[in-house]
Parts: sequence; C-alpha cells; structure tokens
Amino acid sequence: MAERYKRAPITEAVIEIRYAEPAETDLLAKVCADFGTTYPFQHPLVNYDVTVGLPPPNVRGEAVTQINQATGHRLSSVDQAEILLLWPLTFVVSQLAPYPGWDVFFGRFQRDWDTWKRVVGYRKITRIGVRFVNRIDIPQVDRVFEETDYLRVYAKLPGSFGPITGYGVQAQFPPDDEGCRLTLNSGLVPSPLVDYGSVLLDLDIAREISPPQKDEDIFVLLDKIRTKKNAAFEACITDQAREFFRK
Amino acid sequence: MTGIVIYPQSALPGSSASLLTALQPAISQRTNVIAQGIQALQNGPLPSSARLDTRPDSTETPIHERLFDALAAAKVLTSRVAMHLTLEWRDKLFRQLDSLHDPEEWEEGDIPVQQASFMTFLKAMVAVNPTRRPGLGLSHAGNLIAAWTIGKDRLTIEFMLHDRVRWVISLHYDDDPVRYAGDVPVSRLNEGLAKHNPELWFHSGSENRQHP
Repeated sequence: MAERYKRAPITEAVIEIRYAEPAETDLLAKVCADFGTTYPFQHPLVNYDVTVGLPPPNVRGEAVTQINQATGHRLSSVDQAEILLLWPLTFVVSQLAPYPGWDVFFGRFQRDWDTWKRVVGYRKITRIGVRFVNRIDIPQVDRVFEETDYLRVYAKLPGSFGPITGYGVQAQFPPDDEGCRLTLNSGLVPSPLVDYGSVLLDLDIAREISPPQKDEDIFVLLDKIRTKKNAAFEACITDQAREFFRK
Repeated sequence: MTGIVIYPQSALPGSSASLLTALQPAISQRTNVIAQGIQALQNGPLPSSARLDTRPDSTETPIHERLFDALAAAKVLTSRVAMHLTLEWRDKLFRQLDSLHDPEEWEEGDIPVQQASFMTFLKAMVAVNPTRRPGLGLSHAGNLIAAWTIGKDRLTIEFMLHDRVRWVISLHYDDDPVRYAGDVPVSRLNEGLAKHNPELWFHSGSENRQHP
C-alpha cells in the first residue's frame, strides 16, 4: 500500500468515464436534480467547438463553418472541493485539495456512478481514465531553487546554458499489460506561495482499448490504475521530496 | 543541476494552441506533424477550470449570485494551498467567509472579497502560519482585512491586489495610543513586522504583552 503523505501535493484528482453515445439533455437535467443534496451548487456549462474550413489557395470556394454545441453541468459541494462534471459524453468526478485519500475519493466515485447509471442507463464506454495533478512546492534560496533535489523528471540541458526560467517535459508511454497508457506532463508553474518555486507533475493514466463495461470490472481496473499512478508518482520524486511531504 | 531562476508569470511553455496555429503557415508540413504530436501529449483542461465566473461582476447581477461567485472563487483558491493549511483552520476560514458574505446581512454597495486580495491573504497566511487565527473583515474595495487583538492593542493587515499588504499596529501605553504602520510586498511582511513582536500577535497572544 502506498504511503499516505501528511502534506500530499495533489491539487486535483480526477476519474473520468467517456461514452460512445451522448446522454440526452432531459436525462442530464434529471440526474442533476438527483444530485441536488450532495452537490447543492449547480451551474450549466456550454462548450462550443467551432471548425472553419477554408478552400486551398487559388481555389474558388466558400469557407465552411461548423459549430457544435454541447451543454453540460458543473456540480459542486459547499466547500467547492468536490466537483462533478456531467457532459453528454463524459462523467467526471474531481477532488480538489485537500485530498482525502483514495478510499474516500473512490467511495464518492462509486456513489455518484451508481446515481448516474440509474438515470442514464448503460451506454458503451470508450475510455476510463484517472488523472492526478500534483504541484511540488520547492523552497527558494535567493530566488533560486533546484528542482532536481525534489524531482527525477526535468529538462536535461547543457550547463553552459546557465539558469533557466521555465521548462516543460511531456512523455507518453505505450499501453501496458492492462492496456493503460500513461501520459506525463511536468513543468514550472507560478507558485501560490511566498519564497517557493512550484513544479507541476500531471499524471494521466487511461485505457482506451476495449475498456471494461461492467461495474465490477471497471472498479477493478480503477484500482489497478491507482496502483500504477502511485508507482509512477514515487518514481518521479526524490527522497528529499518524500521528507517534505511527510512534515 | 539546473537551478531555476523565478520570474513572475512564468508558465508551462508550449501550452499555447494559438501559438501553434499562428505558426502553422510558416513551418513545414513535417514540422507541423511533429508540433501536433507534441500538442497531443498535453492533457486536457481540468474539471476545476470549468469557469465559475461566467456572470459579469456588475451591480446588475443579483447580489446573491455575486456573493456566491465570490465565495466559490475564494474556496477554489484556498484549495490551491490547502495542503499547507490544517483542516481545522480551513474549516474556520470557510465559516468566516460564509459569515462575511451572508446575503441577509449584506449591505447594498459593498463589494465581495476580491480574488487577488484573497490570494495575497493566503500567501501571507501560509508564510506566517499563525496559530492564533485572525478575525476577518472586508474593506469597501473588497479587500480582505485580518485583525489580531490583545487587550486594547491590535494588529490589522489589509491584503491588497498585486501581492501587497498594509499593516497598522495600535498600542496603548497607559491609555496613550501609539501607532506603527507599513506598506510592503507580502514577501516582506515578516520583515516589516519583525520589530513589533510578531510571535506575540501570531502565536502566543499573551495578555501580559511586552511593548516593543
């Protein structure tokens, strides 16, 4: 079992289920009403996807504009730390800091998933993903910090370049034996703290190839993804970071 | 070792889709494919980034909606530093914010807490880490004000925009009032208060205060 840090750097934890067929607008409205007690704050969301097709140079023709509109709902708890996003094609459970631990987070997912499925019913699942966004806050000395003291993922550059003011590292790995793919993003972000520098470590693990369709299989997969996520996180940080998170 | 020098507003590079779009005509098809591949590696927007502040912050917006928006934004901002706060303090802070924005008590013309002021407050609180929790209030401009009181003496800090703080200390020597004041970046708050016994205000809070 992974160590539970006193000062876990998780800023947002997300479980997302994607569908092949969209849920109808009236079903989304009904399920929002059913969530009214657990998520008293509810806001409609609209996502516009605009595509403009232009004819090639020197070819006569008119631009073709296509606008797709999706309506969703953002539901949140009183303290705004628990968020549920309901879109026609996605069901998203999100937890902002403070992260209460996997058991509590996963328990909330199971509870909300049950409510969602009772109303929306079965639809073919195309993707099951877990995403953990961590922000590693590193103390500065004279406005400088060494990210290598805390992280094992960073940009490796020639020393002759001197100090750097920002970087980004992105990596994607082939599907593993469970068919899950890890996408890693890391880079400098503005720190919300005084005299600290902050580095983002964003781990997204998802299965898109033949994702399970039955609840018990989905739950088993999510638990396996959680183990993979913990292993990936531990591989990305140093002992000095672990000590910092324990304080 | 690649020591990072911090400048304000640094951000994860390469995250701008509009930059890629703008450069597209200027670079080769093969480079475009590589650039699109890099962009595909980036994870999508987070649920927390789904905008809450879609309503205009104008006096025409119903007051209960403006209060809700301000409170929700403050609580989401708190989540950014929640790992550095105790649960007890976070809960107390939320109760204070709820009370400050009670629609029943709200007076027409007042401005709810400003996000930039609240962010300055959070930075200061994580840096100072006071075990004595302050009383909170709002200025007419929507800046958060925190106060620590010992007997008749008081430390008041107003958290301004752009990471600045204004502080005033009111002391009483045999009913003879004395005031000290400062206006500093939040990163220099500890330094500004150093001569005025910050330990007493923020931690011990003894009634038998020794004047600085």
